[in-house]
Amino acid sequence: MSVETQFPSDEPDIDPSMGEALQAHKNKVRLIHTAKIASVWIALVLILSIGLLQLRFDPGYVGEHYGFVMQGVLTTLGLSVASIAIATILALLGALGRLSHNSIAQGLAGFYVSLVRGTPLLIQIYIIYLGLPQIGTQLQSLGFAHLGKTLTLTAIQSGILALSLNYGAYMTEIFRAGIQSISHGQREAAISLGLTEWQTMRRVILPQAIRIIIPDIGNQFIAMQKDSALVSVMGVWEITYRANRFGRKDSKFMEMFILAAALYWILTIVSSWIEERLEKRLAHAYER
Amino acid sequence: MLMNDNAIIHVENLHKWFGKLHVLKGVSFSVSPKEVMVLIGRSGSGKSTLLRCLNFLEEPTAGTISVAGDSITTAPGVKLDPKKILAIRLKMGMVFQEFNLFPHMTALGNVIEGLVTVKKMSQDEAIAMGEKYLSKVGLFEKRDVFPIRLSGGQKQRIAIARSLAMEPQVMLFDEPTSALDPELIGEVLDVMKQLAYEGTTMMIVTHEMSFANDVADRIIYVDHGEIVEQGEPEKIFNHPSDDRTRVFLRTFLHTDQSD
Ligand SMILES: Nc1ncnc2c1ncn2[C@@H]1O[C@H](COP(=O)(O)OP(=O)(O)O)[C@@H](O)[C@H]1O
Ligand SMILES: [Mg+2]
Repeated sequence: MSVETQFPSDEPDIDPSMGEALQAHKNKVRLIHTAKIASVWIALVLILSIGLLQLRFDPGYVGEHYGFVMQGVLTTLGLSVASIAIATILALLGALGRLSHNSIAQGLAGFYVSLVRGTPLLIQIYIIYLGLPQIGTQLQSLGFAHLGKTLTLTAIQSGILALSLNYGAYMTEIFRAGIQSISHGQREAAISLGLTEWQTMRRVILPQAIRIIIPDIGNQFIAMQKDSALVSVMGVWEITYRANRFGRKDSKFMEMFILAAALYWILTIVSSWIEERLEKRLAHAYER
Repeated sequence: MLMNDNAIIHVENLHKWFGKLHVLKGVSFSVSPKEVMVLIGRSGSGKSTLLRCLNFLEEPTAGTISVAGDSITTAPGVKLDPKKILAIRLKMGMVFQEFNLFPHMTALGNVIEGLVTVKKMSQDEAIAMGEKYLSKVGLFEKRDVFPIRLSGGQKQRIAIARSLAMEPQVMLFDEPTSALDPELIGEVLDVMKQLAYEGTTMMIVTHEMSFANDVADRIIYVDHGEIVEQGEPEKIFNHPSDDRTRVFLRTFLHTDQSD
């Protein structure tokens, strides 16, 4: 039975079961489509695995050391979660600054975004981890002992600071766009009820803006999990650093980095799944 | 000029420029308690700007606005006191053409937002009050519904309830039915008629001439940022003294009433 012959015509009396039949057919088509896509994924993974095995890839080595690399997952996650949280606060402040009528706030926020977006993350990490202590020593010799010491950060602290500052700048633009996408009427209604500018932002604009930008924040979080690999240059024991350590020692780079890559991949897949759930929950008010 | 000492709104020589555009050219008028004043005029004549200046959604360029004992006089370069502006805003409720309900809040959430956030009422008090005003506009049963599930007419009635709940002394309406499908206009006008009947002081911008004729104590015809003529509906609609009013009414009543 083909769909065309079943398609409702303009005739007034349509068989009510026809809608169900059409829906069932649609579901079947969708299921087959999904199954085909899944097969392509599985085939690709198989081909890559077989290829690697043929080229003396050593799965046994991965088996022996995956626990060691896995221990880095928590560090990577911790770094990313802490950094995305701080970055979100920075981004909110940045966006409020950029949208403010106050020239100082605007200047500060604009400078921050431009400076951070205009320089490589790796350089920012080096400046914070290696550069700041140098200034700290100098300050200490000038008599500012306390201030000097606080500028010497641990590798983890430096990593979180660098990632937060970096992502805060990119997310400033996301927050700004989200806030600006809320219609002016929303602000006017709130203001005319007597809400202050800040109350309007907090109660009316931000809740709507955040719902809109949740997917973008999710993307940033996923990107950050991968960028957090850069903090391995400071010897933070996260996924990449651990993989590199063993890979280098035993010249098993391919084994260890494929393992590391797989771990990042899984992390990002889980993160997107969580983000989608969150998005659905926030959409509640908007469902007809 | 109709002036009286117990006016609830008093506006004196109000000017508004948008850049080089002189939109309000020295408007003066008063509104008495319980008066229903309807503003008519063609699109772009400055009616919305006039209402929006009253509660400082637009900052007037110059002039004096007094509302129930609070008065603000401004002129170019004068920095206004936000506290005074807030005091005036709290005395006025505003209803917009586009409703502007908060989409992330239920009907009740919309109505109690000002009570909780601005008036610092407890949740219980605010909810009791909110329910009272939802009932007043006949939508108590939509209490927990989000705006997306409401019709335009229902949205506007909720918006009216939201403003009323703040118990302002004056209600401002800027074309409250212009965004509605024709069959939904009546329910909103009925609510407004009820308010008029109860003695609510109102300033209404509308193109619904027969409604204006029914509820208005006074009609003001605005043209190019000036009050051209004002008076009782009978006079304005039947014996306008100014040519501009006459032309407006003639063309208006014989063309599509939408703006
Ligand atoms: N924010 C604004 N910036 C610049 N011009 C504006 C602004 N708001 C209104 N105007 C202009 O002011 C004039 C009066 O507008 P408005 O008060 O909306 O008229 P009405 O409500 O009578 O249709 C129009 O020419 C309009 O284009
Ligand atoms: Mg208007």
